[in-house]
Amino acid sequence: MNSTSKLIAALALGAAGAAFAQGNPPTTAPPNPATAAGQQSPSGGAMGTTGVTPESGAATRTTPPTAQTTPDTSTSSSTTMAASGDTPAMRRARADRN
Amino acid sequence: MNAVRPGTGAASRPLAGLAAVLLLAFAHMPVAGAMNEAQWLARAAVAAADNRNSPFAVIDKRNARVFVFDARGRQQASSPVLLGLARGDDSVPGIGERAMAEIRPEERTTPAGRFETEPGLNTKGEDIVWIDYDAAVSMHRVRATQKSERRLQRLASPTVADNRISYGCINVPAAFYDAHIKPVLGNRRGVVYVLPETMAARKRFAFLGRSEQRLGTQRGVSPAG
Repeated sequence: MNSTSKLIAALALGAAGAAFAQGNPPTTAPPNPATAAGQQSPSGGAMGTTGVTPESGAATRTTPPTAQTTPDTSTSSSTTMAASGDTPAMRRARADRN
Repeated sequence: MNAVRPGTGAASRPLAGLAAVLLLAFAHMPVAGAMNEAQWLARAAVAAADNRNSPFAVIDKRNARVFVFDARGRQQASSPVLLGLARGDDSVPGIGERAMAEIRPEERTTPAGRFETEPGLNTKGEDIVWIDYDAAVSMHRVRATQKSERRLQRLASPTVADNRISYGCINVPAAFYDAHIKPVLGNRRGVVYVLPETMAARKRFAFLGRSEQRLGTQRGVSPAG
């Protein structure tokens, strides 16, 4: 098999792969028409009290959502404070052997 | 065949061999001579680039002294120190997690070897240099809190035997710590070599073994075991 044949074979394989990839085209139709016709949870939230959106429910939280992304430094006290080079992150203070 | 076969690093082999010969020549010098064991180890460490081109310290347990060297292995300062009460070169496993009262006298050793140090704090907020954080061994200013231990007097005395009093930490005179230890090891990672007292130094420092192996290869003989 010469190089031209190899190239043709590769192209054919690629085209076949592309055809398979297009076998299941995306659709906007809902998978369950019954659900689609009835009540739906807005924004994909849980089905709860009618008229309560996830956004309005979030307003009742006492903890702002951004607090969840704050790392808990109290549990990582053994290796704290990022450092670089020869300046080390100081480890948790502990008793030495005097 | 007399053809010279250029190999990898061939150009550096003569220099490495020369360095190894010089190291072993220094190794046989008497401690009381022009170069003591700490200075010899310092030169070997620099020759092997084991100090990572940074200043470092060597603890001579047998003579209860600390030696501070610059990055090129030139001695900068030296001082008596206090060391662990017990003779030995290893820490008891798990000793760093035990309360001081639970440490038996024979367990109060200062471990020997190469330690990558880091500045730190103890629970009283004192700045110290961790020698072995897990084993709770540090280098710090001498503490005279327990009067009966007479630590200051022990440091001041000319004898070595009474410098064994700590639970494993290396106690340094406060002025020496502030002048020489803190600037070198108190603000950045560093290296401290603690010479063993129960075995040959080459058993604790891998770079010494490599030097001997290179010499053995140069001579065409097996390195001594």
